[in-house]
Amino acid sequence: MPGFDFSNYNRNAALHARGVPLPKATSTGTTIVGCIYDGGVVIAADTRATSGPIVADKNCEKLHYIAPNIWCAGAGTAADTEFTTALISSQLELHSLSTGRKPRVVTCMTMLKQHLFRYQGYVGAYLVVAGVDPTGTHLFTVHAHGSTDKLPYVTMGSGSLAAMSVFETQWRAQLTRDDAVKLCADAIEAGIWNDLGSGSNVDVAVITPEKTTLMRNYIRPNERTQKLGSYAFPKGTTAVLNEKIIRKEEIGKYVSVLELTEESDDKMEVDT
Amino acid sequence: MADRYSFSLTTFSPSGKLVQIDFDPFLHNYHHLPNNQPTEYALNAVNQGVTALGIKATNGIVLATEKKSSSPLADPSSLSKISLITPNIGMVYSGMGPDYRVLVDRARKVSHTGYKRIYNEYPPTRILVQDVARVMQEATQSGGVRPYGVSLLIAGWDEGVLPEDDEAGGEGKGGEKKGEEMEEEGEEKKKPTGKTGGILKGGPMLYQVDPSGSYFPWKATAIGKSATTAKTFLEKRYTEGLELEDAVHIALLTLKETIEGEMSGETIEIGIVGPPADHLLGVEGVEGAVGPRFRKLTPQEIEDYLTNL
Amino acid sequence: MVGKDCVAIACDLRLGLQALTVSNNFPKIFQYGDNVFLGLTGLATDVSTVSDLFRYKVNMYRLREERNIAPRTFANLVSSSLYERRFGPYFVSPVVAGLDPKTGQPFICGFDSIGCIDFAKDFIVSGTATEQLFGMCESLWEPDLGPDALFETISQALLNAVDRDALSGWGAHVYIIEKDKVTKRLLKGRQD
Repeated sequence: MPGFDFSNYNRNAALHARGVPLPKATSTGTTIVGCIYDGGVVIAADTRATSGPIVADKNCEKLHYIAPNIWCAGAGTAADTEFTTALISSQLELHSLSTGRKPRVVTCMTMLKQHLFRYQGYVGAYLVVAGVDPTGTHLFTVHAHGSTDKLPYVTMGSGSLAAMSVFETQWRAQLTRDDAVKLCADAIEAGIWNDLGSGSNVDVAVITPEKTTLMRNYIRPNERTQKLGSYAFPKGTTAVLNEKIIRKEEIGKYVSVLELTEESDDKMEVDT
Repeated sequence: MADRYSFSLTTFSPSGKLVQIDFDPFLHNYHHLPNNQPTEYALNAVNQGVTALGIKATNGIVLATEKKSSSPLADPSSLSKISLITPNIGMVYSGMGPDYRVLVDRARKVSHTGYKRIYNEYPPTRILVQDVARVMQEATQSGGVRPYGVSLLIAGWDEGVLPEDDEAGGEGKGGEKKGEEMEEEGEEKKKPTGKTGGILKGGPMLYQVDPSGSYFPWKATAIGKSATTAKTFLEKRYTEGLELEDAVHIALLTLKETIEGEMSGETIEIGIVGPPADHLLGVEGVEGAVGPRFRKLTPQEIEDYLTNL
Repeated sequence: MVGKDCVAIACDLRLGLQALTVSNNFPKIFQYGDNVFLGLTGLATDVSTVSDLFRYKVNMYRLREERNIAPRTFANLVSSSLYERRFGPYFVSPVVAGLDPKTGQPFICGFDSIGCIDFAKDFIVSGTATEQLFGMCESLWEPDLGPDALFETISQALLNAVDRDALSGWGAHVYIIEKDKVTKRLLKGRQD
């Protein structure tokens, strides 16, 4: 990324000073977790995106692809988590192509923290980085200011306390895959029910040395029920002042196509 | 000719040539043309290079070349002449290896910075070809640099309507026809041609790029030392409606005509653009994820093709 | 708003300076191809600037690639263009609606001002009447609406939402996008 364009910055500051409200960014007031087990690592997330008190997206994706064997769960400013992970994914892919090796989780984590540290916390991405590489299974958290942690189980986002309470009461060493998935899903559910910033469904990704399995909407505890009545309006309810229909084929009559003959092709050759 | 104008990259000779860079591949790749003097130096670097070839099939493309080592002590397993650029695009060269590796890096980088980071998808083959061609062209009129001493074959697969579906389709394929240019809709009404523009034009794409920065689409072609022999052979062997397996077969036969050493999995390199290799994806459960179409054949796979030759 | 093999996009027509209405004919929907539409709410100067910027970018895309841009590709272009100005954003929240040129499937998405995409399968709302529109759409929308039903639903959702927003209204434009045609209608709305 060549960098950000600040050319509207002063204008926006001036507008703000005169009382124009700054636009609200979508944030993933979120619960995200990760947990290492024997043979791999699991990460999970809820699927609610908020804009202030409004639920902006009821089923967004917070598990981000970095490389086939490295995935990220993101909390904080939604655009920042999306673009930071996409940028690092791109850089890591080019790095992996030129070195001819599989990308490593520490490399990814280091690139992320260096990027985020450079922006001093203004890029508001709070990430759980998980993956399996030739050096083993890894799980990190990266904060927006650039600090990192390495732990066997982690939680982040506004629902991190609810989720951590599940880990602290139920986590034990040498989990199986199914236990780890269950534990992570339970931790996310704790966030969904007890944290207002988190909600909707549970997404889970399981990363093993062989492959990554993404289980989108692994649990859907908040399925929308059938509407009791239909509000379909009879045709003609809305008053229309003017109507214009644009059909594609009608444009054809304004176009004429001339087929060039072979001979005229030769004459037009300017390359030789 | 090779006197006053032969050292400057950017000065035209009185006959209208830039003698360091040759602009016309047809002049040099065909013997029936008289001028084959050692003047167009950059292309000569290519024409002394090891032969590489590409053949387009209906369902894919094959790129093939010889991996020549200068010494029996060299370790060929570490050498690689065919490179993946994007999951659907691969590249091979003839000419100077170091220049090629620079171009591979540039091609990979530009496909991300100039496309994927903007549109969140990989560039179509022609866009990548144009980007690489621009890099090569700039080296022909910039100060302090020399032209890239390579010709490239770039093979890729673009999403869209395949040529055969398109011709069969005509009307009645409303869903797929829809995004077409409005003009073409009109054209179709008057005379249904098989032409599809833009987003609809999918399927295999094979391009050659020269040091001058000019590029050409091919059904099948060869570059390098024995390009002429190889192309004559390909002209005889190529048929419309070729399948990928047949194309690999023909590629090996063509290589056999021109090769100096023995053919084995160690000395031959093959890259194919084929059906999506979902087993190489490394992930499952991701909606819309498709495996890479470009992959290099392993020495064992090449050996298998050679035994069936 | 998504229907069955069709999508709709609608906007009101008011241009205001806080509480002062300047114009009642300021459309906020722009077309960038056969069936790619962009709706822009927010600061009017940025609505103009951003719509022109994408006109330029889409025209350059069409010249370079010799094809029309697909809605999903356009959405990613909008997203990356907005995020480039992460620290000095345009004050707009765009909405993209269109039909996928290959599959004919409906596509809609919305963005915040710094480019975070909200892919939705039902409806997207944006602007000063966001909260009212969320309420209207959440209750009126149902899956698989045909073009006519979709028109009534989106129109009623919009008109009734903007009537409860002092800063919106003054007429509306509604586009119904189908495979082979686009219908643009001007709605009668309150002028107060």
